[in-house]
Amino acid sequence: MLILSRRPGESLTIGDDIVITVVAVSGNQIRLGISAPREVRVLRQEIYKAIQEENQAAANVLDSERKLEDAFKRFRSETPKGSSE
Amino acid sequence: MRLNGSEAKRQRVPVSSRSCAADKKADELTVADLPKKEIHFPAGLLGFPDCQRFKLERFKPGDGSESPFFVLSAVDQELSFPVIHPASIALNYPLPVAVNRELLSALGAQSEQELIPLLIVTVRDKLEEMTVNLQGPLVINPASSCGMQLVLDDFPLRHPLLINL
Repeated sequence: MLILSRRPGESLTIGDDIVITVVAVSGNQIRLGISAPREVRVLRQEIYKAIQEENQAAANVLDSERKLEDAFKRFRSETPKGSSE
Repeated sequence: MRLNGSEAKRQRVPVSSRSCAADKKADELTVADLPKKEIHFPAGLLGFPDCQRFKLERFKPGDGSESPFFVLSAVDQELSFPVIHPASIALNYPLPVAVNRELLSALGAQSEQELIPLLIVTVRDKLEEMTVNLQGPLVINPASSCGMQLVLDDFPLRHPLLINL
């Protein structure tokens, strides 16, 4: 991993069109400003990982058709017939 | 400079469960408008960046009745996700406030009203443990047949399916 030191107000460039600026440092928190093209997705890593893992958990579940069908039957049985609510 | 999602949308409406005729109607309208042809996800889904071509089909239970579930499956890979429209589980899901102009243009849409949200369902062994992902919803523009997965920091990753269903 490349490690660089930067002060508040200083930036670094990744490729031709991504600029990351250190906006402020206070205690153990750093505020970063990120300029990137709109097709580049910028996310907090823990959120990215959580959604990635949830996608993997949701994909190609063994026997998912039967389980969906069970959920659907239960849905119908718990919804009173003729209810408009 | 880019603001993170949660900072860009301060006035979000809380998720609430309700069920009324208006929601039902919206559900029928939007679900009926879902593209029948191939849907293109230029960025793939998170964790599946190479998977860009999908088809969407309604999940048909064995008894032939209409179910609220759809199956989004990759055209050229063995990959599929069960999905559901938020209104089908009586969920007031305030997608519009989270959609910004950059995102709209990436999907070829003029306004967030043109987009249809779909939630990925995580099927688990016990029905009670099945959840929908409110943090990473899919949005689809039926006019362009393009879609993408959003990331909404403030919403739960696992919202129970059955309390609403």
